[in-house]
Parts: sequence; C-alpha cells; structure tokens
Amino acid sequence: MTASVSTADLSAQTGARRLASLRRVDLAGLVITVATLLGAIFWAFPLYWGLVTTFKPEYEVVRPGVALWPAHFTLENYGHVLLETKIGLWYINSLITSGAVTVIVVMMAASAGYAISQLDFPFRRYFWWMILASFMVPIPALIVNHFILMSQFRLINTLAGVVGPQLIAPVTVIIYKQFFDSVPKDFREAAVMDGASEFQLLFRIYLPMNWGITTALAIITFIGAWNLFLWPFLAVSSEDLMNITVGITQVHDAFGVQYARDLAVAMLAALPVALVYLIFQRRVTQAIMLSAGIKG
Amino acid sequence: MSAAPVETGDAAAPHVELRRVTKRYGPVTAISDLSLTVDKGSFTALLGPSGCGKSTLLRMIAGLEAITAGQCFIDGVDVSDMPPAQRRIAMVFQSYALYPHMTVRQNIAFSLSVAGQPKKVQNERALEVARILQLEPFLDRRPAELSGGQRQRVAIGRALVRKPEAFLFDEPLSNLDAKLRVQMRFELAKLHADLGTTMVYVTHDQTEAMTLADKIVVLDKGVISQVGSPLELYNAPANKFVAAFIGSPSMNFFGVDIAAISGRTATVVLPGGRTVEIGVTTGAGARSAELGVRPEHLTVVDPRDPAAAFAGKVAIIEHLGSSTILYVETPVGQLVVEGEGDLAAKSGETIGLRLNQNHARLFGVTGATL
Repeated sequence: MTASVSTADLSAQTGARRLASLRRVDLAGLVITVATLLGAIFWAFPLYWGLVTTFKPEYEVVRPGVALWPAHFTLENYGHVLLETKIGLWYINSLITSGAVTVIVVMMAASAGYAISQLDFPFRRYFWWMILASFMVPIPALIVNHFILMSQFRLINTLAGVVGPQLIAPVTVIIYKQFFDSVPKDFREAAVMDGASEFQLLFRIYLPMNWGITTALAIITFIGAWNLFLWPFLAVSSEDLMNITVGITQVHDAFGVQYARDLAVAMLAALPVALVYLIFQRRVTQAIMLSAGIKG
Repeated sequence: MSAAPVETGDAAAPHVELRRVTKRYGPVTAISDLSLTVDKGSFTALLGPSGCGKSTLLRMIAGLEAITAGQCFIDGVDVSDMPPAQRRIAMVFQSYALYPHMTVRQNIAFSLSVAGQPKKVQNERALEVARILQLEPFLDRRPAELSGGQRQRVAIGRALVRKPEAFLFDEPLSNLDAKLRVQMRFELAKLHADLGTTMVYVTHDQTEAMTLADKIVVLDKGVISQVGSPLELYNAPANKFVAAFIGSPSMNFFGVDIAAISGRTATVVLPGGRTVEIGVTTGAGARSAELGVRPEHLTVVDPRDPAAAFAGKVAIIEHLGSSTILYVETPVGQLVVEGEGDLAAKSGETIGLRLNQNHARLFGVTGATL
C-alpha cells in the first residue's frame, strides 16, 4: 500500500517537473517568436515602404517626413508604367530569356550530370574536374570575356546574346550528378535488360525518379535568370530588347527620377518571382539548401 | 559478334551454356575457367556462400558483366558480346528494381514501351501477365503501395512480359520474411511448371535451391564444386564443402584413422577405439580422413548400449515440433543430432550415439569424398 502511495507521489512529482520544464520551454519559445517577429518586421519594412510609395503621388513622396500610409491614394504611377512604357515588351523579353535559360540549363545539366554520373567515356574525370573548376570562377569576373565573345558572335543586342552566357551552370550539373549517383544501380540494369537506350534511361528513369530536384532546379534557375541585371544590361542597348530588370532604369522623363514610378515598375518586375516563390515555396527552399550545401 | 547457331534447340540440348569463362576484376579472379550447361526447360540453381561468384556468373549470362575470357551461348547463339536486351533473357533482381514513379501496369509494360509497341498491345500484355500473377487489382498502384510479395510478383511480371528464352533470378526471395518466402517459393515452382521456361536461380539458401531446382550447381570461390540433382548432392556429396553446405543442420565432421581399405569398404577406427566400416570409391593408401555424418544419421541410444559409437553429454536441446535437435558434447567435439519430435532427453544428460554407417562419408585430406 505504502509502495503504491509513494509511486503516486513520485508520478505527481515528475508530472509537476514536466509541467515546469514545459513552461520554461514555452517562455523560451515566446522570446524566440518575438525576436523573429521583430526581425521579420525589420526585414519586410523596406518592402512595405516601397509598396506604399507606389500608391503615393510624386509630390507626397518627396515631401520631408515619414508617412506610413498615402495621404492621397493614387494608381497613377501604375497607370503611367503600364500605359506609357514598354513594360509589356520587357515582361515578354524577360519571360523568353528566363524561360529559355531555364529549359536549356536544366536539359544540358541533366544530360551532362547523367553522362558524368552513369556513362563510361574517355576523359570523364577531366570533364568532371573542369566543371568543378569552372564553378570556382565568379561569373562577373568573366563578363568582359562574355561581352567580347558575344560581340564576335554578333549576338550583342539580341535575346540570344542575353541567354548565351547564362547557360554556364556548373552547380546544376553537380547537383544532378550527385542525385544520379545515388540512384541504385539495379534500376539502371533492370532498364538495360528491358532494352532501354541511354536517352530512355535518362528521360524515363533517371529524370522522373528525381522529378523533385528538377522542379526545384528549374524554379531557382528561372528566378535567378529573371532577377539577373548586370549581363542583360550590358548585352542589350535597344529598349525593345530589354528585360524587365533593365527596363526599370528606363522609367524617367524630362523631370528626372520619379521615385513612385520607379518603385511601381520594380513592384511589377518582382511580382512574377514573388508569385513563383509563393506557389513553389517548399521546392525553392529545397533548391536553395541544395545549392547552398554544395557552395557551402 | 559471331552469331552462328551451333545446334538447334531440342528439349535435351543445353539452353544456356558457359564455355571456359573467366572473370577478372583487375588482379582479382572471381571466376576461373568455368564451364556450365543449363538444359532447356530446367530449373537450375547456382548455390554457394556469398562471394563465391554465383551472382557474377548470372550477371555474365545476363550481359551485365563482361566476360574476361570464354564464351556464353544462349539457345546455341554466341551472345558473349551481345548487349543484354538482345539476349532474349529476363532478370529478376534481389531489390526488385521496380521503377517507383510508374504504376504496376507501366512497370510491367516498360520493356514493350521502350521497344515502341503500341499502347493497346502494352495494355493487353500487361493484363495477361497480371492475370497469371494475380496482380490485376493492383495494376494502377505504384510499387510503394504494394506489399513485399506483391512487389516480388511485379518484378516477375516485368520479366514474364518479355516472353524470354530464360529467366535469371538473383536471390529473389531474400528480401521477404520467412513465411512469404515459403509461399513465393511455391509460386515460383508453379510458374516454372506452368511455363516450362528455363530458369537460372542464384541463391545462398540451400533450402530454396533444394526445393526449387532440378539441378543445383554448387560454387566455391569461383569454381564449381559439384553439379547434380538435390538428392545427389545430399546423398553423395563430391567433397566436404558440398557436404557441409547442403543440409540443415549441417553435417558433423571429425577426424578418424583408416585401418584398412579393401575394395569398396574402409575400416575406420573411431576416436573411442571402436571400428566401423564405411563405403568408399577411392582413397587406397589413405591413413587418416574426416568422417562426415548427417545429424539425422546419429541415433540417441543408452550410453551402455554396445552399439553406441560415442557417449556424450547433451548441451542444448531445440524442440522444433516435428524433430528435436540436440547439441552433444562428445570426445570428438560437438555433434549435432536430429531426432524424433518426441525425443525424451534432458540437458546435461549423458547419452549414447549410434552411427548409421551406411550414410556416413569419408573425406580425404584435400576435402574430396573417398
């Protein structure tokens, strides 16, 4: 009897202790939540500021002081950007070049990754080292070379010229190679016994088995290409061939910089990327983790 | 690539034939100068411990491993340099290797699909195979939604749909639990009986080989130890390796002196001083040998029984229901004895063991049966 009582006491004590530790954890959780919330507000404020500014008339933007809400709400800035500039064309140019970069990079990287991972051919190891080495070279360091190369190809001021240098994507090849390496050899052998060719192996076994990684890489490549500024800015001088990122720089008139209009075009430029991110949030995070893991 | 038919395939002709094949991986020789024939319609098991080269042998027949030297014939055609898909054989992998992103139907029809067969034909054939293997309800499921046994059947279905000349199985049952393994063993045997197609089956499990195969090839370190029917291997092992590998529990071995060999009988002196007569075919002049006796050929008797070859103390008893396994400490070492299910013996008890000398075998110093 005494034994059972003491057991009950004991369990009550453990219960209380557990509750106390729970409360402690909760407090820590609260502190962390508040801290992250503050961080998020701090981080998101410029975005909010930018968005709010686009709804202000220009005179209100340049007025001294901080106004967190437009005194006079207007859509005039968006109206101007949409009706008076070539933003529609810039969107299309961005879509074409980013889309082309995405499709070509994914196809090339998957094929290259497959070849290096699965095929046996002379100098395979050297190809692999070359890809690893090319990944050590920062792309901006090559920008002059790219410009000269593209101009020799007579591709300056063409959309193809914008796409060309963006096709160098060693990280994508490396990620594909590693994923293909991890596919058990039995799948390959079973498909070979079934009479599959290398192309069928890649497109019907290896790529579909790694579908998640392909979508993740495609999204991150697309976002990267959409956001790219320096190269499209250098490669194209005709307003009709500009990407949306480059187009932003064209939105002034005789009165000089118009902040609200600039921000309105920036908001419109960021919209597709933001949408892609919101829709494919998990995949984007996965892709960033993967490439960060490799860059790490 | 020489593709000259050597002989036409009648029922008794070798269907799969390896001629003096060698496989080397760098300096390591996995298979050396091995020749083997598999008869048409037979169920041949390649049996041996892991690392004996049995899987390598199967993969050489499949074309997944290049042959370093020698030739491989399938249905009389030299396929040594042919790619796997052209050899008209199908293989079932240990891991099943079912494509996880495809349904059962797509998995089964994959070979037809890569060959560019019309969708209608693919569907018909997949359905036909699914009917044989009772997979119809699962045709639209993915492998992840299937049980181990169902996955195994899909893997077989994928092989079946190609209507191959021969099936190659690479330890297909080793991923299944014991009960399912017995069931699948039965289904494989039934499939072989129904189809009559040549099957080559790699396993390290002697029970599987014994129950399924009509011919067993025992491999040891890349060399064939013995080829024969299950009972031949069991009753007349060619050497100590086969004797030890076939049969469960394993055969008992202990050293003995040979007093004399006259004709087909050797007079053997057991460690206790008793003499017994054991049948031999060779071994003239041998002075000592190892005596091998299977657990069921040792009988428990009273220790004072004049027929008892040894006395020993029971160390452990295992009751299996239909039989009882005793581990007995004797002057010649530990012996395993298999008795009746209702055998009354106690741990620690001293018992006598009678040797059924008609079933005992003598092995010479090289391990070969005398």
